[in-house]
Amino acid sequence: MDTLAMGTILDPPEATAAARQFIQVRGARKVYASGDKSVEALSDVSFDVAKGEFVAILGPSGCGKSTLLMMCGGLEAVTAGVITIAGTPMTAPRASVGIMFQDPTLLPWKTVLQNVLFPARIQHLPEMEYRDRAQQLIDMVGLHGFENKRPHELSGGMRQRVAICRALLNDPDFLLMDEPFSALDAITRDEMNEVLLDIWRRYAKTALFVTHSIREAVLLADRVLMMTRRPATVVADIRIPFGRPRDMSVTEAPEFTRLCTQLRGMIERGTGQLDRRPGDGPILQPGRHGGEE
Amino acid sequence: MSAPSLTTAPAGPFTVRLRLPWRRLRPVLLPLLFIAGCLAAWQVVANLNPQSRAVLSAPSDVIGVLNKNLPLLLPHLAATARETVAGFALAAIVGMVLGAALAQWRRVQQALLPHLVLFQIVPKIALAPLFIIWFGVGPESRLLFALFLAFFAIASATTAGLSATRPDALRLCASLTASPWQTFFAVRLPFAIPSIFAGLKMGMTMALIGDIVGEFVSGQEGLGYVVMFAAAGADAALTFAALTLLCALGLTVYGVVVLAEMAAERWYGAPFVSEGFHNRKDK
Amino acid sequence: MTGSRREQLLSIGLPVATAVVLAALWQAAVSLTDIREIMLPAPTAMVAKLNANLPTLLEAALVTGREALAAFALAVVAGFIVAAASSSSQLLRETIYPAIIALQLIPKVALAPLFVVILGIEAEARITFAALLSFFPVLISTASGLSNTDPNAMRLCRSLRASAWQSFWSVRVPFALPHFFYGMRISSTMAVTGVVIAEFISAKQGLGFAILSASAVSKTATVFAAIAVLCALGLGLYGAVAALERLAARWYRG
Repeated sequence: MDTLAMGTILDPPEATAAARQFIQVRGARKVYASGDKSVEALSDVSFDVAKGEFVAILGPSGCGKSTLLMMCGGLEAVTAGVITIAGTPMTAPRASVGIMFQDPTLLPWKTVLQNVLFPARIQHLPEMEYRDRAQQLIDMVGLHGFENKRPHELSGGMRQRVAICRALLNDPDFLLMDEPFSALDAITRDEMNEVLLDIWRRYAKTALFVTHSIREAVLLADRVLMMTRRPATVVADIRIPFGRPRDMSVTEAPEFTRLCTQLRGMIERGTGQLDRRPGDGPILQPGRHGGEE
Repeated sequence: MSAPSLTTAPAGPFTVRLRLPWRRLRPVLLPLLFIAGCLAAWQVVANLNPQSRAVLSAPSDVIGVLNKNLPLLLPHLAATARETVAGFALAAIVGMVLGAALAQWRRVQQALLPHLVLFQIVPKIALAPLFIIWFGVGPESRLLFALFLAFFAIASATTAGLSATRPDALRLCASLTASPWQTFFAVRLPFAIPSIFAGLKMGMTMALIGDIVGEFVSGQEGLGYVVMFAAAGADAALTFAALTLLCALGLTVYGVVVLAEMAAERWYGAPFVSEGFHNRKDK
Repeated sequence: MTGSRREQLLSIGLPVATAVVLAALWQAAVSLTDIREIMLPAPTAMVAKLNANLPTLLEAALVTGREALAAFALAVVAGFIVAAASSSSQLLRETIYPAIIALQLIPKVALAPLFVVILGIEAEARITFAALLSFFPVLISTASGLSNTDPNAMRLCRSLRASAWQSFWSVRVPFALPHFFYGMRISSTMAVTGVVIAEFISAKQGLGFAILSASAVSKTATVFAAIAVLCALGLGLYGAVAALERLAARWYRG
């Protein structure tokens, strides 16, 4: 299960080119037609994600982060540009990509276990085999004993745990998460972040994680891509200097707070004043914009 | 006989011992008491005022007529029940199939849905005489008219329900590479069940109305015919007896649909309208 | 850009095209086969009949329309008042409401002959019957609207020490308006339906009478023409309610 050692994640040069460019986004653009006008939601977005890397996409609400994520999942078409995963262009959804939405999207008439097994049912996977795996996942996220409950009997955080299990059921190569915890209260959200960190301790998956919480992005990700308002582009690519395994204690480090403050400043200015080359941005120089909190 | 502890409770042997159950029985007993009170008032008015008794009859008279004439009334009850249920069943099949087709193909929906909605609004009841011209005065004509009236409610509710699946549930299916059929049976149909049953309940009511109006117009058999015939002959007790049977029939057939809905909810493991089902689709 | 305009055109064009094609097929079927006009008159024959009988039909429509309007107005006022009363007290609500729901399920249409017996064959009988039919939708949806006020708004009212009367008119009624109008729309159809059924049974004038008497002598084209006028009447009343709803929505959404 622990397929990837930590070194692979944090040390791209040792990986092969294919692993370094597991996800390639090149010049992705999205234009929506509304009425007689067209609205450009994304303009010319390019970045790479290495295999096993956890990348957070951070930006203001409604900036097109979710659109970008849906395009990576093959759920929306790109107007221009190319998105490839493991070398093949993403034109339609794939079974090897797991997705978590903002809403847990559980089917209300199914039990927790049935909801987790839903992908196996749709993809005609051997039920018995996946039953065990589903049970393991359910135990891992701390829902042991709730297998036969229905969604309406669970709290918001518990529902989102079920959604995590469902996304992990068929062991996807790549996980897409669209603000999965934004509807939760702060305490539950911290709990969910711990669950995610725990999962990454066991299975280091490749992940794209959309959020508008700076704290969440810094806590969870290996890299943060900063996006601007519409038409959105990636304005900064910041490497997070904390290793793995990681837990909530990093939030207490002074560096964590400093990083958050600087990212907040960048969002307020609306531009990324950092090195734009993906991969090797040095961490910010503290104090340059010392006037900000 | 006084019940000082329970102001709303009826006086009598009820009071003290049933104090706790009364809380729970209240929602059932209050309406029953209300109806009983109405019937009692009706009886009292009839007893005090013979003139009104001739026009309005009295509950005791109605029970008497029901007792005496039940063998005569039962064939009419059977006729009405048969045509209503058969018309409803056919309307359910045709309506649900067409509703599903409309939900599946957007162009078909664009072409036909406005007409469906229009037919919901216009007074379709006025077509009853046409059905007599087309299909005669026999039971087929009434059955088809019942079908016609019930169809629109069922078809449009089915379409509405199947088209209103939560978009994120559809996105989930797409992300899992589900086929259209899988999506239909795994997500869209279960989500649509409350709406479909709302349509079926409405359709059952409409089928009965259609059959009764058909009986009014064609005047051959059925409880609607009895009501008409008895009213024309100023036989108030018989009119009310037939109306009583019609009410019983109406509640029974409606109850059957409600039971079917409960069975479907059990099958799918209800409850359907759980959190965020309706208020989230605007997202 | 052109895509959405195309969609707009299609959403209007497709239904119209469907109607035109169906009418054309109907016309072709009637002229190519030997269906007797008694069974199915051609659309052109119906239009001709409509033209020829327009004054009589409009006169009948006036009678039916007046009675339907009166019944509708009665039903709306009574429905609103009963809903307001029943939502003001839990005892009343628990007592009356289930009985009303049960009444909603039974076929009230069957009561039509009774109204004729009790109230005679004049307009009052038809208006009362139609009002009874259209009373229930207004009552039920208004009552459910009035009892579903946003609890926070009610808390606000209480914190402002608003009187029951004030919170009823300034909070509960506006919140219930969409439900109220929904009930009104259904009621408008029921009012016309009720008058037509009553006319089937008793009347000597009106569109229901015109339909029934024309069908009795197998003047099918006239039946269709009268139904067309009736549909226009029904749609007119429904449209008026929908327009009123729009106006109210604009007022309360600001």
